[in-house]
Amino acid sequence: MIPDRVVELLHGPAFMQVGTRDAHLRPAHAWVIGAVVHADRQTVTFFVPESRSARVLSDLQDNGRVALGLGLASHEAYQLKGTYVSSRPTGAEDIALQETYRTEWLAAALQAGYPDEIARPLIRGFAYRPGVAVTFRVKEIFLQTPGPGAGNKMA
Amino acid sequence: MTAEGADSPGLREQIARNQQTIDRLNRDLERKSDQVRIIQQISSEITSTLDLDQVLEIVLRATERVLGFQHSMILLKDLAEDTLRLFASRGYDPTGVGAEVAFGEGVIGVVAERKRMMRVGSLGAGIAYITSIRARLEAAGEVAPAGAAAKLPGLPKAQSQLALPLLVKDRLVGVLAVESPKPNAFDELDEILLRIVGNQAATAIDNARTYQMVEKLSRLKRFFSPQLAELILTGGADDPLKTHRREVTVAFLDLRGFTAFAETSEPEEVMGVLREYHADMGKLILEHEGTLERFTGDGMMIFFNDPVPVPNPAERAVRMALAMRDRVAALLGRWRKRGYELDLGVGIAQGYATIGAIGFEGRWDYGAIGTVTNLAARLCGEAKPGQILIALRVAGEVEDLIEAEEVGPLALKGLAKPVPAFNVVRLKGRV
Amino acid sequence: MGILPDEIKPAMQGVIPSHVVTCSRDGAPNATSISQVYYVDPDHVALSHQFFNKTVRNVRENPRAVVWVISPETFDAWDLEVEYDHSETSGPVFEAMDMQIEAIASIVGMKGIFKLRAADIYRVISVTKNVDERIPLPDIDEPAGRR
Repeated sequence: MIPDRVVELLHGPAFMQVGTRDAHLRPAHAWVIGAVVHADRQTVTFFVPESRSARVLSDLQDNGRVALGLGLASHEAYQLKGTYVSSRPTGAEDIALQETYRTEWLAAALQAGYPDEIARPLIRGFAYRPGVAVTFRVKEIFLQTPGPGAGNKMA
Repeated sequence: MTAEGADSPGLREQIARNQQTIDRLNRDLERKSDQVRIIQQISSEITSTLDLDQVLEIVLRATERVLGFQHSMILLKDLAEDTLRLFASRGYDPTGVGAEVAFGEGVIGVVAERKRMMRVGSLGAGIAYITSIRARLEAAGEVAPAGAAAKLPGLPKAQSQLALPLLVKDRLVGVLAVESPKPNAFDELDEILLRIVGNQAATAIDNARTYQMVEKLSRLKRFFSPQLAELILTGGADDPLKTHRREVTVAFLDLRGFTAFAETSEPEEVMGVLREYHADMGKLILEHEGTLERFTGDGMMIFFNDPVPVPNPAERAVRMALAMRDRVAALLGRWRKRGYELDLGVGIAQGYATIGAIGFEGRWDYGAIGTVTNLAARLCGEAKPGQILIALRVAGEVEDLIEAEEVGPLALKGLAKPVPAFNVVRLKGRV
Repeated sequence: MGILPDEIKPAMQGVIPSHVVTCSRDGAPNATSISQVYYVDPDHVALSHQFFNKTVRNVRENPRAVVWVISPETFDAWDLEVEYDHSETSGPVFEAMDMQIEAIASIVGMKGIFKLRAADIYRVISVTKNVDERIPLPDIDEPAGRR
């Protein structure tokens, strides 16, 4: 079960990146623009730009290990670790969701005190379409907010 | 360098981009060599003056006009303690001159402590990050809640800071800092340029400051012992030249018969006598930790308990007066042989006086104003040859120490009522 | 000539948080954000080691990592493949990082509490500048009242 607060952040304007690794334990990553928590509260689908998906997808096909890091400008942060389930190209519905995510991300960044001249071009710089929707099953959740308890397993 | 393939559009683009970079670097280089030339000019300006304010002004003006830094400040190290004080700034309102920064506090304080330059381009992000950790530690009870943040001089929301320690042979003179509300406002080239200005500034500031100190020291040495003057200069004692009020014991002395002697003798003879007398009296004043306020010919005014407080000023004054009388008695033997009829008279009083530098530019004196000085002077005027007249307040302080005879009450000029007075005969237990 | 271009330097000033992915010996990737990647020289970067966290642990087991930094000037994102080399607790790199952290910590009353334990030095294996298309969103880039 993914805790409420983490669901809220996954759906909301958390900044996200996915980490994978190949057969030689060499890590790779891609940024994530938008995510959806499934009704089972254990499965998550996230979106990566196709342009940056090749290495991540080949890693996932090789060993299926997924780490999804998410954080807010307030430094509140979590990490979800789990196993790859499937992937597919993003559709119109996904893209609509990603566009909402981008708008919300900007609003949240501005509210957190990021200057407009940084937040706006920053979110613009993250390509998201065409994209790939990657689904994985969450096995472990870690608190990553810096300070006491950072790195502790939550679920 | 990049992951682009070697296909020709990518390659062409790369070549075009490289050319752009080269052009940009060339332009930068030209701009910067202009700046270096101007900096050389400034260096001759800086070294042409010993006026500290002027030196600081030249440095900050160069920092703004030549390097383009709009917010700059110079903090100088305190001579005695490990703190910095803001001496000059540019681009701030209000200036905040006088603000203090402790070593190790903020970018400037850490630069002073470590004597190493620092460039920070993300102060806001860094502060937000550590603040969020602090909040969590506080919530977990691991650190005490933060007190009020130290008020550091500078922009309230600076994002970038570049701070340079001003060093003369590894000795810290101060810190030259520039800042900006924009993140990443400074780069490595700025570091190099600021360092060029800073190296020249450090020496010029140090020279100007040393000169200022020597000036001040020589001024202080006119009034105080060399040790005390040094102490005042390094901040170990309050600057006594600032007007203050304190209870002091004041002793006046002069030579009976001096006026007649001066009128009838050759100037060389008069100067000879005075030199002998001043030298011996001066030694005794220092021995008893008195402050010579002034001497006029044969007259001297000395006070105790200022600028350095002493535990028993009245006793010191009386002991000094007795020692002086003994010393003058020895001199008298020689003087009489040469036909001079002279003797010492002393008046001592105690009370509150307003003390400080009195005078005008170019001729300052350290002076005390109050009834106590008048009373001491009048008692001195009343003293017969060899007498040490003390006021009631002083007699009360030293009655256990001395044998005295009452001579008053005396009607003194400038005083409404006659005052009791005592002549000090000797220290108790002495014949 | 080293591998890191000069134009990457603004991305290593901590203005925009950076991201790092490492992998434990037993094959678990770890994705986390870090406040700053420090430029050391054209072939090396440093990460600050304040707490003994998963990143610090992983690279000591398996030195390979990927780091992602963003320039606050051009908003280019850079991917760095790096390899943990060694850890420093003195010397110019450590001191530069340490004094910066100390300065900021002192401002928020955390001097001595929040401090640098070590500077972890990584060798840079490859650098890739992201050249993705920048997709404007009308409702983001031209909000009401901005025109």
